[in-house]
Amino acid sequence: MLGLDPLYFRKDALIAHWRLSLEEHIIDMAWSPDAEHLAAITAEGRVFLIEIQNGTAIDKQIGNHAGGGNSVSWNSDGTRLATSGQDGRVQVWDGLSGMQLYTIETEDSWIGKVAYHPQQPVLAFSAGRTLKCWRESEGIIYESSDHSSTVADIAWHPDGSAIAVAAYNGITLHTLTRQSSPRKFHWKGSSLLLAWSPDARYIATGEQDSTVHFWYVDSGMDAQMWGFDTKVLELSWHPSGQWLANGGGKSISIWDCSGNGPAGRTPQTLNCHFNKITQIAYQPFGHYLVSTDVDRFLLLWEPEKHDKLVGATSLSAPASCVRWVPQGNSLVIGQYDGVIASFTPNPIYSVSKK
Amino acid sequence: MTTKIPVTVLTGFLGSGKTTLLNRILTENHGKRVAVIENEYGEIGVDNDLVIGAEEEIFEMNNGCICCTVRGDLIRILGNLMKRRDRFDYIIIETTGMADPGPVAQTFFMDDEIKNALYLDGIVTLVDAKHVVEHLDNSDEVKEQIAFADVILLNKTDLASSSELDVLEDRIHAMNAMARIFRTQDAYIAMNHILDLGGFDLDRALAVDPQFLEPEYPFEWSGCYQLEAGVYTLVLDSGPDPAMNIYLGALPDASTESAQTGIDSAVQAFSTDAMTVQSGSILYPDNKCYQLRLDAPPRLFPIEIKQSGIYALFTEHHPDEFSAFLKDVDDKRLHSINSREYKPDHEHDEEVTSVGITTPGELDLGRFQIWLRELLGTKGPDIFRMKGILNFREMPERYIFQGVHMLFDGRPDRPWGNEPRKNTLIFIGRNLDRDELNAGFNACLV
Repeated sequence: MLGLDPLYFRKDALIAHWRLSLEEHIIDMAWSPDAEHLAAITAEGRVFLIEIQNGTAIDKQIGNHAGGGNSVSWNSDGTRLATSGQDGRVQVWDGLSGMQLYTIETEDSWIGKVAYHPQQPVLAFSAGRTLKCWRESEGIIYESSDHSSTVADIAWHPDGSAIAVAAYNGITLHTLTRQSSPRKFHWKGSSLLLAWSPDARYIATGEQDSTVHFWYVDSGMDAQMWGFDTKVLELSWHPSGQWLANGGGKSISIWDCSGNGPAGRTPQTLNCHFNKITQIAYQPFGHYLVSTDVDRFLLLWEPEKHDKLVGATSLSAPASCVRWVPQGNSLVIGQYDGVIASFTPNPIYSVSKK
Repeated sequence: MTTKIPVTVLTGFLGSGKTTLLNRILTENHGKRVAVIENEYGEIGVDNDLVIGAEEEIFEMNNGCICCTVRGDLIRILGNLMKRRDRFDYIIIETTGMADPGPVAQTFFMDDEIKNALYLDGIVTLVDAKHVVEHLDNSDEVKEQIAFADVILLNKTDLASSSELDVLEDRIHAMNAMARIFRTQDAYIAMNHILDLGGFDLDRALAVDPQFLEPEYPFEWSGCYQLEAGVYTLVLDSGPDPAMNIYLGALPDASTESAQTGIDSAVQAFSTDAMTVQSGSILYPDNKCYQLRLDAPPRLFPIEIKQSGIYALFTEHHPDEFSAFLKDVDDKRLHSINSREYKPDHEHDEEVTSVGITTPGELDLGRFQIWLRELLGTKGPDIFRMKGILNFREMPERYIFQGVHMLFDGRPDRPWGNEPRKNTLIFIGRNLDRDELNAGFNACLV
């Protein structure tokens, strides 16, 4: 039934730690920079602040977005947490106490993403077809014109100098200075999510038409990668910026982006999932890659090694959200059934196979 | 494996009664918890907490193929709804009057996430019985909404006469022979006629009236009479048209073969210019097509028969519409030996039509695939929908399929068992070539 070689099914490759249930599909999660708090938002819009103390987790509902939650984001120093939902609101919470501090009302019913600037206290969010930026002291400081569709994703340039927006017809790159008009990376298709390479050379996108796009940020050139089974909703960069992993079916494709980039290269593929992959996440500062699928499997990989698969475990429901702690030594899995579970990779397998 | 959730799409022009129907669905006690995705400008008067507003976002794909066009807003909203699937067990999508149903339907074929979690139970199109006629000729949206429908509600029937409704229903039926048509007032309809149709109930959809599968004729009725030499009179009353074409011809006998010969002659005569005649003009069984002027009474046309025998009378409209009959010199009303009704040729020569094919015989899978690929590759944009039950050689099961434009979805169904094996399929589309479709399909038979 597993379709997976039992030899690989080393459950102790991932050591389970705390586990709790919020009883609803987990839509998004984010770690505070110090990894002492985890924020989570559910399908019904409940917002939770989870405190991690001595290896245990205590969850507290701090608020709600009527009609469902969409996204959570911490600011760079962990003092603020922002959430968005289908009530057309962004809410800003105190990062320690969970007290609600601000509500930003918009005219849109769909606030997709919230994303704090990597250094500054500027909050970017997508409201319907627009991108807006907000500062506590000033309110809305930037508002884009309409994109070609409801914004699907936003992400800050790693140095915070610009913010990229994914929507129908490609990527738009906004700088918050009003003088310059946004740069367009035009593609006739619908970009569903985007990921900057850590060195900011590339913006990778996952597409509705079952392709992956690489935008060479400096030149504006692009490379299209096709052959995936389904639309691509899973993208993750290796911390070095050399590798991009993507899903879009049962296989993980890993593209070598060093040198002249991925164009014309054949990806490495990791093929142990027997059903559609739901999440892919490279470890920060490390070599592990975690992937999950709709059959509830969680696989741990070391893609740069000869025996790539380290181990696998099964979850109580498929994962909707995988978040490594910023320091990279452990990760949490948020699931369709509301369970949030914490794991660390078992170091014995990594060491023994060197 | 979790069960898929049914989705019903409601289409129709502004003022056709969509909101009334939606309110009915939400208040009626059908035991379903319904989530509604409504277009931005609609307003629902029901306090239902799962009403989500949507604004049409069309996603075209890079290849420029209209068949790959999907609704981005629905992918996003339905995808999100599926994360709350314990809250509801039915989804209704209301579209704007101007929406093209194609991308909506294609979303259920093209997007894997949607396809795996939901199924399109049916497309229900509301039509304003009084005003739709104004749009039937020039609005692509109206044509497409009718062409895509599984169920059509002729609503606001209280505002149209029954003869107007008959004409409208015939026209709509000619465009989409697969849809069930109901006449409604205030969108009053039993829920089981519009919800939970069971995906595509192919047997029902394909059980169209047998006339539909016949060729179209320029006449609606024929009757055979045994006439002695003498003078008879065709008596008419006023009817839906100020004129009517007829044809009178002699037949060697009353057999079926002779009747078919008569039909062929009549078709030929009807294709020529009719000779216009006023009341009182004498008609002969001379293989001519006469146009009877019926503007004013008396509407009496003498018929002179020189030789006793069997004669066939073909009329453009059904005689009942004109209370027409034939009488002899003694004013005795004559009855035909046999009569037949024909599917009328469309008065409007619809751009959107249905072509049905029903034929016994086994299909060659390879040939059929090549034919269909070629057909959809070239005619895909004009084929709105297709459905069928096919009889493949060496396949014990019925093979059922359906499609939207170039997208095709088929699978083996239940075994044929004792049921007679045959192929039944319907295409609904624009400018369909019936002969070409028939020929192409027949060439796939073993």
